Amino acid sequence: MINKNLIIYLSILIFGLIAPFIFPAFKVQLSILCVLIILAMTWNIQGGEMGYNSFGNILFYGLGMYLCASVQVGMFFPLAEWTESGGEKTFVHTPAQFFQGFGVGLAVAAVVPAIVAGLIGYSILGLRGHYFAICTLGLGVAAGEISGGIEIIGAGQGFTTPPFPNFGGLEARGEFFYFCSFISLVLTFIVVKSIYSTRFKLVLNAIRDNEDKAEAMGIQTMKYKIIGWMISAFFCGLAGGIMGGLVGYIDSTDVAFDGREMGVFMVLMAILGGKGTLWGPVIGASVFHIFKEGFWTFFLGWQYVALGVLIVVIVIYFPEGIMGWLREKYPERFGEVVDEADRKAQVELK
Amino acid sequence: MKIKNIIITFFSAIALLLSTSVVSFAKVVGDKIVLGAAVSLTGKYSSNGVHTQNGYNMAVDRINSMGGIKVGGKTYKFEIIYYDDESNPKRAAQLAERLISQDGVEFMLGPYSSGLTKAMAPVTEKYGVPMVEANGASRSLFTKGYKYLFAVLAPANLYLDVAIRTAVELNGGKGVKIAQAFEQDAFSQDVRLGILDAAKDTGSEIIIDDKLPKELNDMAATLVKVKQMKPDVLVVSGHTKGALTAIRQISEMKVDVPMLAMTHCDAAKLSKQHGKNSQYALCASQWHKTLTYKDKWFKDGMTYDADFTKMFGYAPPYQAAESSAALLVFKDAFERANSFDQKKVRDALAATDMQTFYGNIKFAPGGQNVSKPMVLFQVMCDSSGKCENKVVAPLKWASAKLIHPIPKWSER
Repeated sequence: MINKNLIIYLSILIFGLIAPFIFPAFKVQLSILCVLIILAMTWNIQGGEMGYNSFGNILFYGLGMYLCASVQVGMFFPLAEWTESGGEKTFVHTPAQFFQGFGVGLAVAAVVPAIVAGLIGYSILGLRGHYFAICTLGLGVAAGEISGGIEIIGAGQGFTTPPFPNFGGLEARGEFFYFCSFISLVLTFIVVKSIYSTRFKLVLNAIRDNEDKAEAMGIQTMKYKIIGWMISAFFCGLAGGIMGGLVGYIDSTDVAFDGREMGVFMVLMAILGGKGTLWGPVIGASVFHIFKEGFWTFFLGWQYVALGVLIVVIVIYFPEGIMGWLREKYPERFGEVVDEADRKAQVELK
Repeated sequence: MKIKNIIITFFSAIALLLSTSVVSFAKVVGDKIVLGAAVSLTGKYSSNGVHTQNGYNMAVDRINSMGGIKVGGKTYKFEIIYYDDESNPKRAAQLAERLISQDGVEFMLGPYSSGLTKAMAPVTEKYGVPMVEANGASRSLFTKGYKYLFAVLAPANLYLDVAIRTAVELNGGKGVKIAQAFEQDAFSQDVRLGILDAAKDTGSEIIIDDKLPKELNDMAATLVKVKQMKPDVLVVSGHTKGALTAIRQISEMKVDVPMLAMTHCDAAKLSKQHGKNSQYALCASQWHKTLTYKDKWFKDGMTYDADFTKMFGYAPPYQAAESSAALLVFKDAFERANSFDQKKVRDALAATDMQTFYGNIKFAPGGQNVSKPMVLFQVMCDSSGKCENKVVAPLKWASAKLIHPIPKWSER
């Protein structure tokens, strides 16, 4: 069994590594897919495993985006002059500056949101249910409005991230960002998978199923909730930093703190794939992205209507997500022991 | 085990492959020159996105029916691949990538709005794809050293510069008190910078400097302040929604201000939608039908206006006119380059010096059009309640005299 799994993981890894060369025209879509999967997987830590429906993860994504770009510029040039649109000076990063800046930027983009998550989490993770959801919804909206007023990061003008330097061929930019996002995805997957195999996940599940009972059993739920959120924030920030460089232009509410799109999509993807599972968000994000791209090509002008229909279909036919549906259909493949008599009895009851 | 998941993942990959099968390697196919464009068909810029698309379509139609483009002794016709960027910069950048690397487009037309153009320019620049854009006026577009970006319109900071200077002139050369409210987006913020410059130049004072949210449908807070502080000029900019919201609330709240300067009045069809309520509003415009520029495809502004109205059922705002002009520029550049080589076309574009019905077009090294001034018009209504936009500045094209100050609501 272990060997089988290993083969599967290896083949996916190899596929991921050669994908940009097999589908050179799709590098950007593939990079975005990686980012979407990261977002869905990290959302699932709260929404799926812990039962805390967070709409605020977009805060870390946007924060990471602004931080990465600011560090990348600020390390070599005065940030204020870069973002000021009327500036007559043109700043150009050398390749070394660009990559160095981007690397440091990504590190900052991951660490700072995690710290922020710890601080915010300490104050709001005491809220439960709808109250937590509404509170986190406010976080993203507020961040968008506030960042839209900070002059040094471009305010309403937006922030143009450093253009990719004259390095390598035409394809270099796409390949660079693809591998950044793919490597981050692999990293996220490994971390999430390994924490799902520890007691940590069981604690999160206990919080989801009955927080009071978990506390009564002596678990410091607050500590676990905060750590869980910090892990999410770390990878959300990383994904945001990469996305900022990929898009090349950061707008406070449309690109960075894009709660209306990314913020909702990450929830949708996790639910579509099946929340509370390891693979659910991965599948959900892939299916969602492919359908979205398809609708966008074939139903121009109606893509959101088509997307809406898709969501309705999912809610009606796959209320537990794709993974949930598979699990119900083939429970034995998920390691569940099914007693035939019991199953029949259940069917008869229905 | 997890085999099912893997199967699904691979199915997804196959679906992705299938979607590539529609790729048509376009650029110049047969007798067609394929241009790529992402315009906002949905989202907050959708009305202006449609104006842009109509403008493009009108010009394609006209150029194709008048003999097309002659390159290397062969005649070609224009065709445009459109995508919807949903008024979202992230999407716009993706679409630029998609048009170039998947659809094989070698020449691009711009999207609507500065923000989206800012998102697309790094991509077109990287691939060396010439882009003629008609709707991205933000100054910062032209200071990034882009070589493949050309804008047929005047930069955003000049939009309302004239209005402030006129107000100062009417005030006997003394500085005026300015109240301003701008949407939080690249274009409007650039208009704001222009006003700041003009205010500094003329010794005017800015007494209210508000920011408006992107989903703009209420600016009552600013208007309350305006009522209290009585500025000489109120400047509002926030695309179509900004213009509509301002007029709606100013008339509801009966805000008296001697001069009201805005952008996007014609795109918002203010005079039609709000009739007499929009009277006296002063609007910056890239173009007006009464200007006397001429070309051989559309003849002049009045003819363009009539033809466009016949084709699409509404009078063309300047967003449509400048979009049409972008295609005239492309046609001209292709013929002068006499080649489809991107570098040669780029050089031909850089050397553009022509007159179109929309105005003179000549690009500065940064890519902005420097030979076309902005015009200001004022919404004027006759006694029967029929309203029209009349050019009041610059004087060369003025068809009416500026009414200043605006009569108080109690006297209207």
